[in-house]
Amino acid sequence: MAFRFLYRAAVFAVPAALTVWSQADAKTLRVNISADPAQIDPITYSELNSYQVLEQVYEGFTSITPDGRALPALAVSWTPLPSGYGFRFNLREGVKFHSGRAFTAKDVKYTFEQLLKPGGQGGLSAQFLNNVIGAADLKAGKASELAGVKIVDDRTIEVAFTKPDVLFPIYQFFFMDSGIVSALGADWMTKADAGTGPFTFKQWKRGIEVDLAANPGYWGGAPKIDGVQFLIIPTGDTTLSQYDAGELDFVNLPENSFRRALGNPDYQSQTIKVPKAQVRYMGMNQALYAPFRDKRVREAISLSLDRDAMIRGLYNGAAFKLNGQTVPGIPGYNPDMPPLKYDPERAKALLAEAGYPGGKGMPPVDIQCIEPFRDEITYYANQLGKVLGMPVTPKVVERATFIKSMNAGEVAFFPWGWTADYPDAMTFLGEMWQSKSPFNRPRWSNAAFDTLIERAQTEPEDAKRFAIYRQAEKILMDDWATAPLPATTNIALRKPNVKNVTVTPFGYSVFQSALIQ
Amino acid sequence: MTMFVLRRLLGLMPVLAVAIGLTFAALQALPGDPVAVMLSDHSADAELAARLRAEYGLDQPVWRQFLTYVAHIAAGDFGLSFRFVHTPVIDVLADGLKVSPILALAALAVAFPLGAFAGSYAAIHRNRWPDTAVILFLVAGISIPNFALATFLVYVLSIKLGVLPVAGWGTLDRAVLPVMILAIPCAAYLARLARALMLEVLQHDYVRTARAKGMSERAVVWRHAFRNVLVPLLTQTGVIFGGLLSTTFVVETIFNIPGLGRLAIQSIFARDYPVAMAIILLFTLFYAVINLMVDVLCAAIDPRLRAEGGSRP
Repeated sequence: MAFRFLYRAAVFAVPAALTVWSQADAKTLRVNISADPAQIDPITYSELNSYQVLEQVYEGFTSITPDGRALPALAVSWTPLPSGYGFRFNLREGVKFHSGRAFTAKDVKYTFEQLLKPGGQGGLSAQFLNNVIGAADLKAGKASELAGVKIVDDRTIEVAFTKPDVLFPIYQFFFMDSGIVSALGADWMTKADAGTGPFTFKQWKRGIEVDLAANPGYWGGAPKIDGVQFLIIPTGDTTLSQYDAGELDFVNLPENSFRRALGNPDYQSQTIKVPKAQVRYMGMNQALYAPFRDKRVREAISLSLDRDAMIRGLYNGAAFKLNGQTVPGIPGYNPDMPPLKYDPERAKALLAEAGYPGGKGMPPVDIQCIEPFRDEITYYANQLGKVLGMPVTPKVVERATFIKSMNAGEVAFFPWGWTADYPDAMTFLGEMWQSKSPFNRPRWSNAAFDTLIERAQTEPEDAKRFAIYRQAEKILMDDWATAPLPATTNIALRKPNVKNVTVTPFGYSVFQSALIQ
Repeated sequence: MTMFVLRRLLGLMPVLAVAIGLTFAALQALPGDPVAVMLSDHSADAELAARLRAEYGLDQPVWRQFLTYVAHIAAGDFGLSFRFVHTPVIDVLADGLKVSPILALAALAVAFPLGAFAGSYAAIHRNRWPDTAVILFLVAGISIPNFALATFLVYVLSIKLGVLPVAGWGTLDRAVLPVMILAIPCAAYLARLARALMLEVLQHDYVRTARAKGMSERAVVWRHAFRNVLVPLLTQTGVIFGGLLSTTFVVETIFNIPGLGRLAIQSIFARDYPVAMAIILLFTLFYAVINLMVDVLCAAIDPRLRAEGGSRP
C-alpha cells in the first residue's frame, strides 16, 4: 500500500512540477555563457559573464567595435579641460532609458557616485574613477557627492582629474537611470534594467538562462531580432552537443572544447577565431631566483621554448605567437616586434656565458601555476631541463592560493596572463610592467620604462601615444623582462543562417544588428 | 505513533549538528580564499579585497565565523552568497530546490516498480531466459558508470537520432534522459534485491498453503508472495534515495540541470561556502527525513515495529 502511495505521489508530482516554458521562437538569438552572471548590475559587475549580458543592455561614453576601436556612444564628442586634467563631454541628444526617462548628465554623475560610494560595492569600473577629483573622499564617506564632476547642463558634463588620464573616454562605464531606485525600489534589478542599450532585461532564471528583449526605441536603430537568450552551460561538451542539435545559434567556446571543435571538419565554415584581449608571459622574479638577475639567462629561457610546437601540442592550434606584450585587436599593438626564435644552441651558449654551462651551478627552482596549466608547466620544466640542463620542477597550486602569493610577489617562476580592461595597450604595458603597479607580479622594474608609461598617460593623441608604447615595449623586450608566451584565441561557432554577429577580443559583439534568416 | 515520530525527530538534531561541524571544517580546510576567487585577476587590489572581506565577515577569526554561522542557521538565516552579489543563499537555493527532489523522486518512481517487478519475474523464472536477461540487465546497470551511459545515450538519442534534447530542464522531454540515467542503477539494485527476496518468500509455508488451496500460480505469486517482497524492498528506499541524491551531482552536471547538485559543485569550485554548506545540510536533512518517512510507513504497516521502539526489520 505504502509503495502504491509513494508511486502515485511521484507520478502526479512530476508533470505538475515540470513547468513548461514557451519555446524560444525562431527570431531569438540563442547563445551560451559558461556560468550565471554574479549579478546583472552595472555597478557591481566584475566578471566576464555579467559583462556579456550588460554590454547588450547598457552603454557608456563610447562603445568598442569588433576590431577594437572606440566609437562615440552616449557621448557624441569630448574636449580636454583647459587645465589638461579632465574632459568636457557633450552627451547624445534624444536618448531614452528603457523606462522612458531621458538620459541626461545627471545620470552620468549618479553612476559615478554609485560606483564610489561606501557600501555601494563598485566593481571593475570603479577603478577607472580613481583619478577623478574627490573620488577618495567619496569612497571614505567624507563627501556625499563627487567633487570633480560638474553638470553644465542636461547635455554637458565635465570630469576633472587629479592627474592626466587621456584614456578616460574609452573606459567602459555602464550609465544607469538615476530614477530607477525611486521608481522600482532597491531590488529593481530583479524586475527591470536601468540602461539605454539595444536590448532590455526580460528575465533571469538562475542556472538556466538570461533573456533579453529587443528595445524598439533604441537610438541607434531597433534590433532586427526579437531578443537574445543566454543559455547557461558550464561544460564545453554540452555546449557543442547543444549546438549540434540546433539548440544554440552562436557559441563562444570554453577552452576545454577547442580540440573537439577544431578537429571537426563540419565546423570549418562556421568557425570564428579572434585573438583574446589577453597577453601571456613567463614571470621571472629576479629577487627570488639569483640566475634570473642575468639578462642572458632570461634570454636563454626564451630561446629554449619551441613556441610552434606549443601552439600545436598545448593549444590545439588555437593560439598565436606573441613577440612582445601587446596583442592584435587592441590599439597600440606593435606588429613589427622582432620575431622570437627557437634556438637551443644559442640558448646553451648564452647560459654558459652567464656562468652556468649545461645548467651547472643553477639552484633548483619550481615553476608554478594552477591546475589548467599542468601540461604547460610540465612542458617548460622538461624543455628547460632538456635544452639548458636547468633543474626545474613543475608544481600545481590551488588557484586562489596561487593568485594571492603571485600578487604578493612571492612566486619566482610562473607562466601567467593579463586580460585587458579597456581597448588600449596601456592596459598591458602600464598595469603589468610599470614598477608601481600592484599587478606587476614578477616585480620587474625599469626607470626608463616607467617614465615612458607616465608620459603616455598624458598623451591624448593615439599615434603619438602608440609611438611611446613602441619605445617602452622595446625596452621591456631588450631587457628580456619576460619570455612572451603564445597568446590564445576566442573560438566561436556560428550557424550559417546567423549574420552580423561575431566575437571580439573581449567576447560577444553587441547584437544590435544581428540577423537570423 | 506521535511519540515515535517525535523521538525520531529529536534524534535528527545531533546528526545535523555533526553535519554542520564537519562541513564547516571541511570547507575551511580547502585551500583558497573566496575573496581571491571573487576578484580573480584583480585581487591585488588590496582595498577592494579588504572591503569584501569585511562585508562577508571573513576578516573574523574562524571560531567566531563558526559561532556566527551556527547562530544564524538556528534563526533560519543562511547568509549571503559569495558568488551571487548581494543575494541571500535562500534565494540561490530556491530554484534548485524545485528541481533536485523532483528529479530524484521521478527516478525512484521509475526504478521502484521496474526493479520490483523485474526481480520478482526473474525469480519465478529462475534459471530460464527471463532470469538470465534480468541478471544481465542488473550487472550492466550496476557496473556501467552513469557518466559513460549518459554520454552514450546523448550521442545516440540526441545527436544522431534527434529524438530527445541534449541538455537543459523545464520540459518533460528534457527530463527523460536524466531520469533514465538515475533510475537504471537503482532499478538494477532493487531487482537484485527483489529477486533474492522472492526466491526466499516462495519457500514459505503460506505460499505452499496457498498453492495447496488450489489457487492459480499467478494469484499465489502476485497476490501473496509479491506483497511480502514489497515491504522489505520499501525499507531499502531510504538508502536508495540517499544514493540518488548523490548521483544527482553527476547527472545534473552532465545534463546541465539547474538543481542543487550542479549548484553544489559550482559553489565548491567558486569557494561559495555559504551556498555549499546550505546544500550539504539540506541533503543531510532530505536523507534523514526520507528515512524517517520509511520508518513511519513500515511502522504503520507492521505494528510490531512500533512496540519495539522503531528499529527496522
